[in-house]
Amino acid sequence: MDISTLVAGILTLAIFTFLYRDNPIYKMAESLLIGVSIGYFLVITWTNSLMDLLFNPLFRDGRLALVIPLVLGLMMFGRFHKRTSALSRIPIAVLIGSGAGVAIPAMLGARTLAQMSATVSPLVTEGGGLNISSIVILLGVLCTLSYFYFSREHRGVLGQSAKAGTWFLMVFFGTTFGYTVMSRMSTFIGRVEFLLSDFLRLAN
Amino acid sequence: MKLESRHWTFFGLAVVVVIAMLSGFQPEITVSPDTLRMHEYIESLPEGSKLIISFDHEASSLPEIRPLAVALLRHAFSKNLRLIGIALLSEGTGVGYGLMQQVAAEYSKEYGVDYVYLGFKPQYIAAILSMGQSIPATFPEDYVGQPVDQLPLMTGVETYDDLAGVISVADGSLTTHWIEYGGGQYGVRVSAFGTAAMVTTYDPYLNSDQMYAMVGGLRGAAEYEKLIEIGGSGARGMLAQTCSHLYVILLIVIGNVLYFVSRRKGRSS
Amino acid sequence: MRRKVPQFVCALFGILLFALYFSSHPLARALSQLVLVEYWQIIFAFTLLVGVVSFLKVNLKSIERGEDRPYRIVSLMGLLSMPIVAFFWGIKGGTPFMWIFENIQVPMQSTVFALLAFFVVSASFRGFRARSVSASVLLVSALLTLLARSDVGGLLSEHLPVVADWVRNNPSMSARRAILIGIGLGSVTTSLRVIVGIERTWLGGKQQ
Repeated sequence: MDISTLVAGILTLAIFTFLYRDNPIYKMAESLLIGVSIGYFLVITWTNSLMDLLFNPLFRDGRLALVIPLVLGLMMFGRFHKRTSALSRIPIAVLIGSGAGVAIPAMLGARTLAQMSATVSPLVTEGGGLNISSIVILLGVLCTLSYFYFSREHRGVLGQSAKAGTWFLMVFFGTTFGYTVMSRMSTFIGRVEFLLSDFLRLAN
Repeated sequence: MKLESRHWTFFGLAVVVVIAMLSGFQPEITVSPDTLRMHEYIESLPEGSKLIISFDHEASSLPEIRPLAVALLRHAFSKNLRLIGIALLSEGTGVGYGLMQQVAAEYSKEYGVDYVYLGFKPQYIAAILSMGQSIPATFPEDYVGQPVDQLPLMTGVETYDDLAGVISVADGSLTTHWIEYGGGQYGVRVSAFGTAAMVTTYDPYLNSDQMYAMVGGLRGAAEYEKLIEIGGSGARGMLAQTCSHLYVILLIVIGNVLYFVSRRKGRSS
Repeated sequence: MRRKVPQFVCALFGILLFALYFSSHPLARALSQLVLVEYWQIIFAFTLLVGVVSFLKVNLKSIERGEDRPYRIVSLMGLLSMPIVAFFWGIKGGTPFMWIFENIQVPMQSTVFALLAFFVVSASFRGFRARSVSASVLLVSALLTLLARSDVGGLLSEHLPVVADWVRNNPSMSARRAILIGIGLGSVTTSLRVIVGIERTWLGGKQQ
């Protein structure tokens, strides 16, 4: 067995010890994981973002305009001292403002209007029969939206609609739960496959 | 060593999955319409079409993501598509780099000509929008620091208009940003290979045609492996997947029987 | 001044990017590119570095106090090892950097995630009860999905996967769509409130 598989196998088992209860072996592995993950993150951010977007163009190609984002970026470190902490609000303002600016058209168009538009489809088929799927979708969207309408008390028609809305929501949560179980099992199966095939060599 | 009831349920799951994996049996798989649509999409692309494969996931979901990504890359390379790998989450960067190198070697593909790996850019919304204006300006250098203008594959690639589409390999909701910002603002065709847990999140986008196709979870990977006729981790894990589902169903049923029995006892007493 | 200047900057960038959405003029595209890459992405990269520095500070302080010292030292060693190996050998495939990533970080991180499978099983046994009509609907749709997405579903009845797909693509999807529409409207409202300065919680501190 090569050293890579041995290390990966031992660390995998160390994490699985948590299933019994929290213990020093798990804590040690977890601490290593946290450190390595942040170290990895630091290197990737530095090499794949700051170098090619900022430092190379600024110091190698002489694009002096990049001094402004550099200064704004450095202002973020003002957070570490009480006297300079207000400085970090400026770069945060750039991030928040930019995010809000691009979100308005995107959320309105691609999320709200496009989804509303897709809900409106013919309720009757070409043959003259009822299009059950379209009716269910329309009812589902309206009832669920009415459940989230809190400006009036849920009584009468609104109450009935909101109640039906909870059933649609439960169907969604149930389906999502099913797929989530599937996903979690897949992850576990992947680790078992590694342990059995590569680490213990019990399966091909 | 004190064992509680949860330990027995844990033990049961481990036993079920280990036995299923050791048996080596691979059940017959029926391909779902979702997977078929994705396969037909890749098949329909002319040779030499350029696609962005965006590795938008963490290392944590790799056991589920790897079979999906490998199946996708195998199909794309076998169809002689030109692939541009990127990552919008930092951990996907190393994973995507490794996977592209591994599968490219299987098909003797040349770096810079048949595929490139541009690496990671932070703030995915900014990256997606910025690529709509200029991909070389968003990624001036590739993963290892080579200027993109020196990569033959990148010649003539300026914006999404020069690409056949984007396939997001994702474990979270990052694909929705591709749909809402990339698709919504620049009209790029977005598809996804995602974890099963995200399938229901993307359903409305599939229904509204904002997302073109989606393959979900280990089962999706197994179905895709069947379509491209190359076995992989997806198919190997299918018996364990089925058995683990049955185990969860059994526990839910037992839990409910115990609940109704105790409720009846409570009423009668 | 401490709050007004950031508020002004926020409104300026918000209005600018909102306005640029509607223009395809080369100048507008260049300006948009400038803001997206040279401001948004670079500043965001710095915020990530702030997180790393913060982690270092917290850990060093804990080591100084003697809290969880061995674990904190291991964390710091892990953190420092990555930039050191990346500096000396680079980040290409086959380097120590990628070895640590592939054989230490990836196996452990995916195993931590795999632990969730066990907790899902435990939760299914303990908490998934048909206590009411709503809970029963939840239970039935979950069981239907689990059965249909395993190979047993098709064996029990050829209609089962078809029914499960219909449930997913219609009633389930419609509820998710309603949630999306709600989130969309909420996001637009919040973004507008941020730009015009009604929503100021991002500034931190006491509201004035």
